[in-house]
Formats: sequence, structure tokens, C-alpha cells
Amino acid sequence: MNNSIKKITIVGGGSAGWLTAGILASEFKTQGDLAVEITLIESPDVPTVGVGEGTWPSMRQTLKKIGVSEADFLMECDATFKQASKFDNWINGTNDSYFHPFTLPSGFFETNIAEFWQQHSKQVSFADATTVQSHLCKNGLAPKQISTPEYAFACNYGYHLDAGKFSTFLQKHCCEKLGVKHILDHVVKINSHENGDIASVSSKLHGDIDGDLFIDCTGFKSLLLGEHYGVEFISQKHVLFNDTALAVHVPYPHENSPIASHTISTAQTSGWIWDIGLPSRRGVGHVYSSAHISDDEAEQQLRSYISPSLGKNQKLADIRKISINPGFRSKFWHKNCVAIGMSSGFIEPLEASALALIELSAKMVADQLPANRQVMDITAKRFNEKFSYRWQRIIEFLKLHYVLSSRQETYWQDNRCENSIPEHLNELIALWKYQTPYGYDTHHTEELFPAASFQYILYGMGFKTDLALRQKREDKKEIANKFFNDNIAHTHKLMNAMSSNRELLNKIKQYGLSKV
Amino acid sequence: MANHALVSPVAHKDVKIITDRSAKYGDNLWYALTFPREFRSVQAHYPIFFNKNPSTGKFISVALFGFKEHENLFLDDNGWNADYIPTSVLRSPFLIGKQKTTENGVEEEQRMLTLDMDNPRVSNIEGEALFLPFGGHSDFLDKTSSMMEALHLGAIDGQAFTQKLEDLELLEPCTLDITLDNGLKNQMIGFYVINEDKVDALTIEQIQDLRESKYLQAIYMAIASQSNIRSLVTKKNALVAAQD
Repeated sequence: MNNSIKKITIVGGGSAGWLTAGILASEFKTQGDLAVEITLIESPDVPTVGVGEGTWPSMRQTLKKIGVSEADFLMECDATFKQASKFDNWINGTNDSYFHPFTLPSGFFETNIAEFWQQHSKQVSFADATTVQSHLCKNGLAPKQISTPEYAFACNYGYHLDAGKFSTFLQKHCCEKLGVKHILDHVVKINSHENGDIASVSSKLHGDIDGDLFIDCTGFKSLLLGEHYGVEFISQKHVLFNDTALAVHVPYPHENSPIASHTISTAQTSGWIWDIGLPSRRGVGHVYSSAHISDDEAEQQLRSYISPSLGKNQKLADIRKISINPGFRSKFWHKNCVAIGMSSGFIEPLEASALALIELSAKMVADQLPANRQVMDITAKRFNEKFSYRWQRIIEFLKLHYVLSSRQETYWQDNRCENSIPEHLNELIALWKYQTPYGYDTHHTEELFPAASFQYILYGMGFKTDLALRQKREDKKEIANKFFNDNIAHTHKLMNAMSSNRELLNKIKQYGLSKV
Repeated sequence: MANHALVSPVAHKDVKIITDRSAKYGDNLWYALTFPREFRSVQAHYPIFFNKNPSTGKFISVALFGFKEHENLFLDDNGWNADYIPTSVLRSPFLIGKQKTTENGVEEEQRMLTLDMDNPRVSNIEGEALFLPFGGHSDFLDKTSSMMEALHLGAIDGQAFTQKLEDLELLEPCTLDITLDNGLKNQMIGFYVINEDKVDALTIEQIQDLRESKYLQAIYMAIASQSNIRSLVTKKNALVAAQD
């Protein structure tokens, strides 16, 4: 089998399937002699889960690469700009609040400004002192202007979007512009080669669909990697307890109600509530640990979160219940099959990592697509190492949010229980008591969370770092002060220059965004 | 705040408009809107660039007079030293107001000439009268009215032109780095130019389409106008030398 890899078959649609199709089909020619043929087969009428409505800034590059217009994307996917996550009541539950913005602290590459912020920590929050973004978010302002070219920004941003509309939007572009073959049919059987590779999948109406590489985007079902190959699932429930979510769409009181430019995450007694503002509605959900709270009680908390913002005659749509089995597969690429999306693992949406992981997975498959079957196992091994590492980093990073809390409910106390904290995270926290996260704490290419993210969470949560009392030869205090002052000036400038999220979206609807 | 009034023989019978060119009348402009229908005259004196209308993000064509805000290198104590001044500059202190009228149940938009009464060009003592002693239009007012109409139509055509440039992806951002004789450097950002390589790569059909809409000529005039940057630099050097 000296087969070169020329035919990729993606099983399953949704955000995972179509993002993967788009990333692959924008990398390779899909027609002609040396083309990579890309086929996506998905079952008709299978509802997508439709959570995963927040993205990272990486989505800007992804969409640009796929070749869609940002204005079209924003309009057709009911999307808006996300600049940060805001965490309410996470510290101790007494109306506390902090931001994790997408922009790095000012001067991040010149000096570790976090060290110098410590002495000002009583006067100003870390995010406020080092970025413009928390100020923009608090005022509902957009990260760019109407004259800013598409995908460019004044402040780094990702998106909030309607996941269902996003799939449809990508599907249209993939099929019409990128030459992806789309088959709507049920997969009924998986056929193997002698070596255990998948030869083809049998469909109800379209016969056998073969492929050199199969991508499993079948969601929780994990049809190829999980069901067919039986690749082990590594539960993370002992670290991240949340296993249930209640999700609901919430209407705005007015057509022109402000749209938040950040995800709001509000801690509850046994979980937290996400709140994502789209142009036409909000998506709100309560994710919690069923071991710590009943569904009824969780729903009560969700309703009391929403009710103050509901207009008098507005009713709440149906609340959907979603079960989460937190964890990931022991490997993601097995033989000639790679799982992308929820088929590879799933974790609560605390830092909206789901879509980002899909982008990264598809990007690595595109960048590293094996020339032939002989070298595929090497690529698979590298892929598995990379993504096992990434899953572990995500889990640690999410856990950090819980560990730093001083809330007193059982759920929160259990979260701080020593045996629920990964050892590597414990080590980091021990170090950070005496030094701030910086260059040595993140060292992989395309690290998921830069050291800055750890700084935002640690210092947002009120973590104390007692820097070693040593005198350095070079005093960087003045440089740091310059960056603090720059940030004040820059904040002042942008606060006057930026329109509201809603206003900008209305303008984009009218005028579009230029490419240059 | 501008104080706009519909031009009327009753209210404005004694109003005169000062047509001298000077910074005190707001002529110290860095650049001003222009449009293809006057490119032939504009390109003889000024470099034509493109930039974005900050409130819509849409491209407009502009004639450049200097390298920074409030710098008009064509302006000195004797006035504006060029044979052609863009219409969008000449129009001051007039504007076009829009009035909706309903005639036989059909809504129509009418353009009306309005005047900014707070503009320093508006005077009762010196300048060009708007109305004749018995209320008739002065030649100046008639000329102004036709100029405003030309500006209105020219600007609409200009929008179609820049939209075409954007659709064909012919525009690219440019950074203009100027080094003066005395070694001082000046950088200008936020402007766009037509990418000549992309113009050369247009298909026959695209060229044909541009020719029919008269934009092909406008594209080449805009490209050719870039050579005026050199004369702008010469003016700037002379100015700096005189100040030293």
C-alpha cells in the first residue's frame, strides 16, 4: 500500500466537520491532477448540539484563510465581537468581578509588567492597569472601527456566534467555493482494510464512500474513533466536576439593546452561568455538577439569573438539557482516522476552547498531512503527543479558575481538594507564590494559553505573589511606569474613538468592511 | 456647530461671500475630496490618493495638498497658488440640504442650496453678493448652484468609482516616507493608492467594463498624478528653507 494521501473523507458536519473541511480545502487544491479530494458526509436532520458559541482570536485567521468575507460572516452567523471573558462572583461571591482580555498586557514582550503591578494592586485591577480592553468591555465598545479593514483590529478579538448558522455558512462556502463534496446520508457501516485501516464507510443511499484518511467529526457519538476503534476515553470528572448544562436563548428587551463585547461567566453555588450576547439574542446556560445540585435547583438559579433582564411580556424559550462527559480520548489519531471536535473530547465551555481546538486540530492535519500511508503513523504519534499536551493544559487552566476561589459552598471546597488538582498545576501554583508567570511557563509553539492568560486569572482572582527580595542591577521600574502611562493614554484615545458593538454591527450591515 | 440656512433672497439679500483663499477661511487643508469628473484638472497639480470616510469606512478619492494636518503647501499670503482648486474646497461655505416633499402622493427628495452662516466667509461687507439689489440671483449664485450640482453628481459618481476599485481589489495601503533636504523625515499613513500591477493583471472583460464607465481613464490619471508628490516635496523643502 504505497498510497499517497489524496482522498480525505470527513464523517459528520456541524462546526467541527465544516471548519475542518474549510481549513483543509483552503490549504489544498481540490480539483486537478494533484488535488486532495475532500468529501463530507453527514446525516440529514441530526440536530447539532449548538453550544460552542464563543471563539478565540484565532478564528479571525482561520476565517481569513478559508476565504470568507468578515462582513458576510458577521451578518450570516448572527455574530459579534468578543474581546474578553468576565468572571463575576468567582473570587468569593460578593459581587466581585474581573476580566480575562484577549489583548496581552502592554509592553508584555519588553518587561514582565505583572511584577510592577503588584505594588499598585490595591488601586487598580491588573487588567485595567495593563490593557485597554477591560475598559472597552465595561463600556460596551467595539474592538475596531468601520474604517478598520476586515479581520484587522484596534484591540484583539474573537467572536460570539450562532453555531447552527455558522455550520450552514461554512457549508455553503466549502461546497460552492472550495470544491468540497457534500453527501447527506446516514453512515450504516464501517469497512476495514486488512491492516485495520478504514477502507470506506457504507451509506444508506450513496453506497460505499472510500478515503485515504478519515476524519471523525461525529460529536459525542465518536463513531469512528470511539465506537469503531474503541479508543479509550479518559474521564476528567475528578478534576472538573461539571457534567450537565441547561441552555436557553434569551431575547433582548429592545431591538437595539447593547451587545456585550465579552462572555460573562457568573459563578453559582455548584457551577457557573455563561452569558453570550449575539446581535439578535443572548445565549445563556448553567453548567454545573449534578453531584452537587439537582436539575430543578440548577434551573431555578438559571431562571433567577435571567429574569431581571427579561422584558415584562417576554417569555423564556425552552430550556435544553445537555449532558457533558468531561474528558478526552487517550489518542486522537489512530491508524488512518483522526477525531476532531467532540468526538475527541469535551470539557465545559469555561474558556471557550472547543472551537479553538477544532481549528488547531484541522490546521495541524492540513499543515502536516502525511505524504503517504507509510509515514502516517509518525504524524499520528506527533499529533497525539501534541493534543494530549493541549488537553492537559486546557484542563489545568480551567481548574486554576476554581482552585483560586475562596467561595465556601461544598462544590467550591471540593474543587480545592488536593486530590482533585493535577500535580503539574499544583507545582505551578507553588512557584507562582514567589514569581509571576512569564516566559518559562509556556514554551510550546502555538501554546494554548500564553503566560499572560495565567497572569490575568491569577491576579484577577486576587492571587498574591511575594517576589523574592533581591536587588537587580537593572531597574525596570521606569519602563514599567511608561507602559502603565501608555495604557492610560491609549485607553483614553480608544474610549473616544470606538463606537458601541451594536452601532458598529449596524454600520457593517449597511457598508460592509473593506479588505484593505 | 454649523448654522445652516436655506439660501433665500429675503434672509440673505445683503449677504456676501468672501472668495479669497487663506488659512483664516479654513483653506489650510491637508487634503480634500475629489472625484473622477475633475481628475483631469486635479491631476495637473495634486497627487490623488484614496482614504476612508471615517463614518462609513467607504473609500473616497482625495487631492493631497500637504503632508500633515493643516498643511496646505499651495497656500501662502497671496492665496492659493494653483490654477485649479477642487470643487469640494470651492463649495465652502455652501452645502446641499435635502428636503423631502410629497407631490401627488409621491415622495420626492429635493436638493436645496444651504449656507453655513457661521462660516468666516459669510460677510455683509466684502465679497460676492448672492442676490441682485431687487432680489434676482447674482452670477456668482448661479455659478455656485451649478457647481454644487456638479459636486453632488460628481461625488455620487466618485462613490461608484471607489466601490469599483474596491471590488476589483485595486487599492492598497501606502506609507509615504519623505526625507527633506534638511534630513527631517516625514511619514504619512492612512492613505491608499492604486496597485499598478493589479491594474495590469485585469482581464479584458474587466478593462472593457472600466472603459465603458469611464473609470479606466480615471485610474490612469490617478496613477499619473503620483508624480506630483515630487513637486509637493519641493514646495515643502522651500518652505522649510525659508523658515530656517
